[in-house]
Amino acid sequence: MSYIIVVCILGLLGIGFYCLLITRNLLKLVVALQVLVKGAMLAVLFAGCLVDNMEVAQSMALTIIVADTIVAVIGLAMAIQVRQITNTSNIRSISTLRK
Amino acid sequence: MQNNLLLWLLFTPMISSVLVYVVGRFFAPHDDEKPNKTVWLCVAGIIATFIPFILASINILNGKTVSTTIGDVTLVFDGISMLVSLTVLLLGLAVILFSIDYMAAEHSEEKFYGLLMILITSIIGLSTSTDLFNIYIWFELMAVSTYSLVAFYRNRATSLEAGIKYLTQSAAGSIFIILSIAMIFGTTGKISMHEIPALIASSKRIMIAAGACFITGYGIKCAFVPMHFWLPDAHSQAPSGVSAMLSGIVIETGLVALLRSLSALKPAAASFGMIFLIIGALNMLIGNLGALRQSEVKRMFAFSSISHMGYIALGIGFVLTFPESTASANGVFFHVFNHAMMKGLAFLAAGAIVFNLKQAKGDHSPLLVTELDGVSQKYPWFALLLSVAVLALGGLPPLSGFISKWQIFAGGALSKNPWALVLIVFAGINSVLSLGYYAPLVNRMYRHQPSQTVLSGVPKYSKTMLLSLVLLGIFVVLLGLVPMLVSNFTGSASATLLNMFQ
Amino acid sequence: MTAILIVLIILFPWLGAVLIWLMKNAQEKLTHTLAMGFSVLSAVLSLVLLTRIGQEQITVLSLGPGLGELSFSADGLGIVLTSIANSIGCLAVIFSKDYMNGEKDLQRYYSMILFFIGAMSGLVLTSNAMLIFFFWEITALCSYQLISFYNDDPKAVRGGLKALFITQFGGIGLLLGSLLILSQTGSLNIQQFIAAAQAGKISSSVLAVAGFGLIAAAAAKSSQFPFFTWLPDAMEAPTPVSALIHAATMVNAGVYLLCRFAPAFQSVPGWNTTVLWVGIITILLSSFMAIYANDLKRVLAYSTVSQLGFLFAAVGAGSVTASQFHLLSHAIFKALLFLCAGAVIHSVGTRDMRLMGNLYKKMKPVGFCFIIGACSLAGIPILNGFWSKELILESIHSGTSLPVYILMLFAVILTAIYTLRCVWMVFFGKEKSKLHVHETGRYMKYTLYILAAGTVLSWLSFGGFSSAFSKSLPLHEIEAESLGEFLTTIVKDPLTYLAILMVIVGFVLWFFHKPAPSKAILPKVLETSAVNSFGFEIINQKIVDKIQNLSEFSRGLQSGILNWNIFGVLTGLVLILIILGIGG
Repeated sequence: MSYIIVVCILGLLGIGFYCLLITRNLLKLVVALQVLVKGAMLAVLFAGCLVDNMEVAQSMALTIIVADTIVAVIGLAMAIQVRQITNTSNIRSISTLRK
Repeated sequence: MQNNLLLWLLFTPMISSVLVYVVGRFFAPHDDEKPNKTVWLCVAGIIATFIPFILASINILNGKTVSTTIGDVTLVFDGISMLVSLTVLLLGLAVILFSIDYMAAEHSEEKFYGLLMILITSIIGLSTSTDLFNIYIWFELMAVSTYSLVAFYRNRATSLEAGIKYLTQSAAGSIFIILSIAMIFGTTGKISMHEIPALIASSKRIMIAAGACFITGYGIKCAFVPMHFWLPDAHSQAPSGVSAMLSGIVIETGLVALLRSLSALKPAAASFGMIFLIIGALNMLIGNLGALRQSEVKRMFAFSSISHMGYIALGIGFVLTFPESTASANGVFFHVFNHAMMKGLAFLAAGAIVFNLKQAKGDHSPLLVTELDGVSQKYPWFALLLSVAVLALGGLPPLSGFISKWQIFAGGALSKNPWALVLIVFAGINSVLSLGYYAPLVNRMYRHQPSQTVLSGVPKYSKTMLLSLVLLGIFVVLLGLVPMLVSNFTGSASATLLNMFQ
Repeated sequence: MTAILIVLIILFPWLGAVLIWLMKNAQEKLTHTLAMGFSVLSAVLSLVLLTRIGQEQITVLSLGPGLGELSFSADGLGIVLTSIANSIGCLAVIFSKDYMNGEKDLQRYYSMILFFIGAMSGLVLTSNAMLIFFFWEITALCSYQLISFYNDDPKAVRGGLKALFITQFGGIGLLLGSLLILSQTGSLNIQQFIAAAQAGKISSSVLAVAGFGLIAAAAAKSSQFPFFTWLPDAMEAPTPVSALIHAATMVNAGVYLLCRFAPAFQSVPGWNTTVLWVGIITILLSSFMAIYANDLKRVLAYSTVSQLGFLFAAVGAGSVTASQFHLLSHAIFKALLFLCAGAVIHSVGTRDMRLMGNLYKKMKPVGFCFIIGACSLAGIPILNGFWSKELILESIHSGTSLPVYILMLFAVILTAIYTLRCVWMVFFGKEKSKLHVHETGRYMKYTLYILAAGTVLSWLSFGGFSSAFSKSLPLHEIEAESLGEFLTTIVKDPLTYLAILMVIVGFVLWFFHKPAPSKAILPKVLETSAVNSFGFEIINQKIVDKIQNLSEFSRGLQSGILNWNIFGVLTGLVLILIILGIGG
């Protein structure tokens, strides 16, 4: 059972980071971050299981949900704003800050 | 009474944040050019926060403890919180005063001030928390408030770009922090930093992984190389006041969070100090090389923040690696304070120049180094204060940057370790290198022939802007001549740090 | 009393600097007057301080962990240099009344000069190694600001930055040295360190690192081999600044440092020899460069470099007194030469000697003063340069080997050649162009007369000088010598006449080859390499280019692409895991 959970956690993290490494789409960036947070949250809950202290784990998970929703909202808001101004969702095409 | 002190320290800026936003919403001026009057509520909020801060500090300096417990969460106001709060309150005051005119023409400034007050609250809160998860919460609150502040010019593609890059990398960092907390919680069942060290001696490997995740996660915020790529973008695109806050205190707060979290893992790994030494050296080099041929002023300062994090990390590395290097701890906290003042002054002075040369005329292009030519002819005070700031950043006496750098080095030298000396020489060379981009700025500003941009600048002075610059400038000059002024604060902070890692 | 005087002597000019900065552009006259007032008063203070030379150690208060104490020592080494800095500073400021008349940004000019004077006093008076470094860097800052005073001129800016970088780079040696003092003795007090070093309490390897670090710092500050390239470029500064900072005071800080620490490093093998040879190599290289230079101020700059080489050589030969006595003479006559050159340049409007000639008839007082200074530089009796140079030659003869002494005699010939060439090209010979000569100002003339009198008379102070040194510097073990004894030794010594002969040889050599002074005797290769600073300029340029390329490379890493940034984060995680894994 615990192996499956560990594999799930690592899988979610792997998918999330892989996505962050290759995607150029702003919306997909936000999705990738969501996937990552879910993986991390699973890790917290799993940790709670291991030490038999689900109360703390659950409260932490709830707080993380709140925090990551706010991040997602701000991220999406920025993505929409970019879309409105530049008419694109491709992060590369608005990447002018370098050097 | 003492419990209430700490609560008031957190509640005062929090309440004023809500007040400023709500009141500002209702009383927004119809004239776009005039500043929103509610900003003075914000100033009052900061000044009011000084009262519980001073009372709490007196308690700490008299050897008492100031703490409070709400449910499972315990907050303790100690030496480090005292120094961080002092820094953020002073810098916050300067930034808000500065922004009165700077942000006057912007749409919905009340949001700006509200977010700024939340940022200040979160930094004070972070510095007082005693468990891993609580630190993460405050850290996330700080991050969230800065995302919106960085992308405050929401109609500019570059500012949005910087905001998105910052958000993505910072959020990725949060993942590592949560993972690390999960690892520690899963092994020990505790999240309080005082209880963990006794429980983790047996499970070393996973604790090393947790430590690495902490360093990466918080290290993103601290702009440790190679996690620093977001910083030059975010710090150069944000409104100048926000840049000052970000460079002056937010990245250092990341470091405080990191140190607090690592202190829970102190029995697990002896080589945390080594990491800090390596990162310190890398940060100094990369930051300086990035700034050396930079053509945009604010971006140059952003890179210089990376190199200054290098000095701070170097000092932390000395403290963690060598037991004799206690003077470095003093130096680190002194440098954190000084850097807030120096970099704050640099960003705000550059901001004042940008405002007068461009912003006031609706031009939002970045200020180029070449456009600083002859600024002193028209804006002598801004030129003087910017010169003071950059020379202090370059570590020239009699300005404050010199003393704190020296203290960091002195601590390293006291270890009598030859490698520490090699690192100090390396840091010294980097300091010289950094003058390669600071000094020419001064030369440019004191030319007699002004650039075209300067000639067409707005001829008026903003009094509040100048006031905020002078406030920071006094600290930069005075602390170089009389370093004992804040030694109570730095001494207390360094004692706390040494205690944490004992 | 002494403590108050010392603190006052540092802070008083600084107060002046702040006040002058607040002056408006329109208040030109007030600015001049204020600057003169402050500098004259601090000069008076410094002369009062001369009476208080002794072994007194003053500790005011503790500065904090790792910073040591705010402490001063009232010994001869420091107080003599303080008086030089303040007196010549005062004369330079008075000279500036005419020289800088009508210039823009006078506030910045005078503020920086007064700031410098205070810092220089602090540098030589403090007995805390951290504070030496502190003031050391302030003098570098002022020097850089004043060299690039004319910020619109790219040459001036480049010169200022070059001076800043090279002296700062050398300063790392001082940083290292001071930190080693702290780590070995647990305090930053110099006296304690010297005593510990003499008692053999400090390991020899550490002592060697500190010693050579200080040599690097001193060589950079005093513009010695291999760091000598910055001083000639520093000549873009207004001339009174060149006289004060780049001839009389700041460049002596390096020599001061060596003199101050010399007793501690006597046991380090090769320390004295290195100092000696740094000095000798510098003397030879810079003398040749002076022979071929055509810019009046650059000739003087090269000659400063070579005279500082004499000071180094004297320290290397073990005679702190000789070094410091020549420092005093050199400060006076070189300030005189620079200020005369300033008067000439101010009058004719060019620095190129090839355009001058036959100016003696047009500006007799200045010409006369310049010739006095030049004679002193060349070592003609009975001017101050003669006596102090003899003292150095004597110490080298007694302290080192014969070949070194012969090289020094050769250097004396070279000095005579470039001095005579310079005097001839400017004041005598054919008039090469129709230069309009302005009247020399009143304040200018007065300062020149005072300095000329100093050049003629300052050697009379030897007795007091020597007894002050032996009395106040117990760790240096200096024997006192009265003026009479000193004169008798010099006059009776046959080697003195040999040295005078060498000066004459130099004069004769130059006269015989006047039209093309060197071509007949010296190979062409020497000329080309001397004009090109013996390749050191190219090395400087190469280093700058390398750093800039590195910077461009590093900027390339900042790709601005989000995916790569995330990759950076993951790389960071992996690296940290690896390091922690190995370390833990």
